[in-house]
Amino acid sequence: MNAIFFSLLAIFSLFIFMNLGKVKASKKQMDRDDRIKWGKRRKTIFRNSRDGSKIIEGEAEEINTDSRE
Amino acid sequence: MSKHSALNTFGRSGNPAFTKNFDSIGAIPQSERMTLDGAVNKTAILLALCFGGAFIGWNFPALTLPGLIIGTILAFVTIFRNPSKAGATAPFYAGFEGIALGGITVFAEMQYPGIGIQAIGLTFGILASLLFCYKSGIIKPTENFRLMIFSATMGIALLYLISFIMSFFGSGIGFIHSNGLFGIGFSLFVVGIAALNLVLDFDFIEEGAEQGLPKYMEWYGAFSLMVTLVWLYIEILRLLMKLRSR
Repeated sequence: MNAIFFSLLAIFSLFIFMNLGKVKASKKQMDRDDRIKWGKRRKTIFRNSRDGSKIIEGEAEEINTDSRE
Repeated sequence: MSKHSALNTFGRSGNPAFTKNFDSIGAIPQSERMTLDGAVNKTAILLALCFGGAFIGWNFPALTLPGLIIGTILAFVTIFRNPSKAGATAPFYAGFEGIALGGITVFAEMQYPGIGIQAIGLTFGILASLLFCYKSGIIKPTENFRLMIFSATMGIALLYLISFIMSFFGSGIGFIHSNGLFGIGFSLFVVGIAALNLVLDFDFIEEGAEQGLPKYMEWYGAFSLMVTLVWLYIEILRLLMKLRSR
C-alpha cells in the first residue's frame, strides 16, 4: 500500500513537472523589480573618469533656488 | 562589483553549477535560443538516463563507488568547463550518478525495506510542489534569497567536508549523522536548503529562456536541476533512514 502511494506520487509529480515546467511563470513572478539578475553585474552609479575624478551617471536636475525663498 | 570577493568569484547561487554568467549574449537566431520546452525535455532525458543507471546500480551494487567517483568528476568538469560542453558531459553525469544512486538505494533497502520508493516519491513530490509555488509566484526568489541559500549550501558543504576529513582520524561530527532529535533536525534543515535550491534552478531556466540564451544552456539548466535533485534524493534517503532507525 505504501509502495503504491509513493509510486503514484512520483508518477503524478513527474507528470506535473513535464506539463507545468513548459508553462511560462505568472506575471506576478516575472514582473518584479527585485528579480535575481543572473548574468548582470550591478552597475555602479559612479564611474571613474580618466583623471581620477568621479562622474555621477543619471539625469541632471535643475535646482530651484526660488523654492528656498 | 560586490565588496565580498566570494560573491564576485562564484556569483550568488547556492548551486555551484550557476557560476557562469550570461554577460556575453550576442545576436542569436530564434531557433538557436534556449526555451522552456527544451530545458524540460532535456531534464526528462537526464532523468531517464539516471533511472537507467540506477537499474544497473541496483543489479550490480559493486559499481556504486566507481559510479559515484566518475559522476562527481563529470559534475566538476561540467561546472568548471565551458557551459557549451554541458550537452556532452551532462548525460554521462546522469548515467553514472544513477548507478551510484541505485547502489546506495540497494544498501538502504536491505536495512529498511520500502525506503527507496518513499524517497523517490518525496523527491518528485517536492519538485512538483515547488515548481507550482514558483510558477504561481507564491515563492519569489530575490538577490537576498539567493545569498541566503548560497551561504547555507556552502556551510553544509564545509561541514560535510570537515566531517569527511575527520573520519580519516577516527573521529567526526557525530550529531549530523545521529538519529537523535538534533540529527533529524539537521537533516530536515539540509532537505529544506536542497529543496530551495530547486527554486533557484527554476528561476535560472526561466530567465535563461526569457533572455534567449544559446541552445546549449538548456543542457546546462537541466544539469543544474539534476545536481539538485540527486542531492535532494540522498538527503531525503538519509532523513528517512534516521527516522526508521529510531
